Amino acid sequence: MSQNHETSKTDLNHNKKENRTYLEILGDTILPNHLLLAILLSVSVSLGGYNIGLRLFPSFASDNMVASYSLLLGILGSVLSLVISSIIFKPKRVLIEEETSSESMKQVFEDLQLDPVEELKLIENDPITKKELEELGVLNSFRALGGEHKK
Amino acid sequence: MSLLVTAILFALIGAIVFSLIGLISGTDETAIMVPLTLLVILLGAPPAAVFSFFMAAVLAKHLTHAVPTALMGIPGDTTAVPLIDHATTLRRMGMPHIALRKMISGGIIGAFIALPTAVLLGQFLGQFADFFKSSTGIIFTLAAILIAFFSKGKWVSVLMIIPFAFFIKSLDLMSFSILDKHLSISFFLGIAIGPIFCDLLFATSSNARKTIERNKPKEYHLAPETKSWKGYFPNPLKILTGRQQIFTSITTFISSLTFVFSPVGMTSLMGEIVGSRTKGTYKKSTTSLAVMNGVTESTYIAEVIIPLIAFGIPLSPVALGPGSPLFNAPPVFSVDPINNLHTYLTSWDFFLYGIIGLVIASLIAYPFSMNYARKASVLVMKLVSQEAIVAMFIGLACLLAFHEAQLVGIVLTFTVAAVGGLLNRILGIGAGVQFMIFYASTWIMMTLFGM
Repeated sequence: MSQNHETSKTDLNHNKKENRTYLEILGDTILPNHLLLAILLSVSVSLGGYNIGLRLFPSFASDNMVASYSLLLGILGSVLSLVISSIIFKPKRVLIEEETSSESMKQVFEDLQLDPVEELKLIENDPITKKELEELGVLNSFRALGGEHKK
Repeated sequence: MSLLVTAILFALIGAIVFSLIGLISGTDETAIMVPLTLLVILLGAPPAAVFSFFMAAVLAKHLTHAVPTALMGIPGDTTAVPLIDHATTLRRMGMPHIALRKMISGGIIGAFIALPTAVLLGQFLGQFADFFKSSTGIIFTLAAILIAFFSKGKWVSVLMIIPFAFFIKSLDLMSFSILDKHLSISFFLGIAIGPIFCDLLFATSSNARKTIERNKPKEYHLAPETKSWKGYFPNPLKILTGRQQIFTSITTFISSLTFVFSPVGMTSLMGEIVGSRTKGTYKKSTTSLAVMNGVTESTYIAEVIIPLIAFGIPLSPVALGPGSPLFNAPPVFSVDPINNLHTYLTSWDFFLYGIIGLVIASLIAYPFSMNYARKASVLVMKLVSQEAIVAMFIGLACLLAFHEAQLVGIVLTFTVAAVGGLLNRILGIGAGVQFMIFYASTWIMMTLFGM
């Protein structure tokens, strides 16, 4: 982890957490050391479970079921490792809870280059969509936006 | 009677497990469906129960993967990619819950239309089965060329058919000389976990590592909880307007017949056709979402069922990817000679046990994602780390490979995963193409070198 070391030296002002280097695996960020340990744990627990099963089950299960039971024990092992890894290595993702307002709605219409007045007109002329939006309680925000633009 | 109970039980397991997996965004369809379905088969579940499990798993996963797609604007998995634009528009307008409701209602309708349609078409195509069965080698090879041409990599996939077949056959010969038996699960797993393993290889390479390095953790923007609805089980038909119901029904019926195209392609196409005929952003987005999710579901189901009933050989992208264990899972199922669900189940069985799977998935995943979507995804995102998920799949792959061929199996799996994963990620030679080449490799090498 020499790379980590370097960055923490150059950016002493920031707190430690920000200087970590994350890796993106399958679309989400992880810390390499944590992943390495998690994989070692998962592989050893699931293969361990399987091999223990192969030794243990012949004494009290019928021969043709030994492999299946051992496989099951291995799966239990990998599920167990999922739980343990999740407890030891906390998720690295950041959840941001958004608030939506009519302001952001205006932004959407601007970004998509849509005309709120025309959108409102289409909604008002379509009784089914109008009723649906009314029931959902969002018709008024469309109206507010469309009305505002008319002025 | 007891078979029915077993099927229901396995469907329940599939529905519950995959409802939870669906909440984890960005999961690779093939990498997750293949190992878990293989497990169920190798554990000795009866063929009918395997099918119920698979159907329940597919529908449940698609119903809950709509949650990250709608609430966070990240595709639940690759099949949800075409829906992102419309989902994002509605999310930014503050209506992610409406996007979610339209999507999963469309999905339910799509699933229940696809099952009977696909069973009937499969039975009809079954008349030509003898021809298909007697010339599997050529068919696999031609299909490999066709699928390769339509893959992301296009020409490179076509070019790599013979080298990749050579690679597979060499590994096969090598492992055969050690173990005196032909392996196939290990090959399979290697192709399936290729993309995950490729990322791991990047992480260990001081050269490639830079491309996946991030200086801060990934941020997820979760939309706030908005209005709820009355009751626990909202009627999916009432959530869609009459026009949306009609469009969804027609498009899902059509896409149940086109079992050779990719679900993502069909979804984009149908979404585009319906979307361009709908005016107004709100109406366009909601209608497109209902239709697209319905089409994804119906294509998916049809692509598994039609080849299963008609031929018993995997001749569609889904049958080659997530559905592949239903065709080939030695020593239980095999393609050459054909000894899989095709031989064990009649068309009526497919319908009956398929319905069991779909109904159970609907009963569990539908109200679950309608009522607890937000709470559940917050819980999963806060509690389950990506490290644990990736590690679990690597562990499962090791377990299954070891089960087939001990250490040889593990080495083989990761050799295939390294080559296949890099070909997949960098050159765009998808897992479906690789599976097809795997099936075709025997015939190709036989024709070229007579061995």
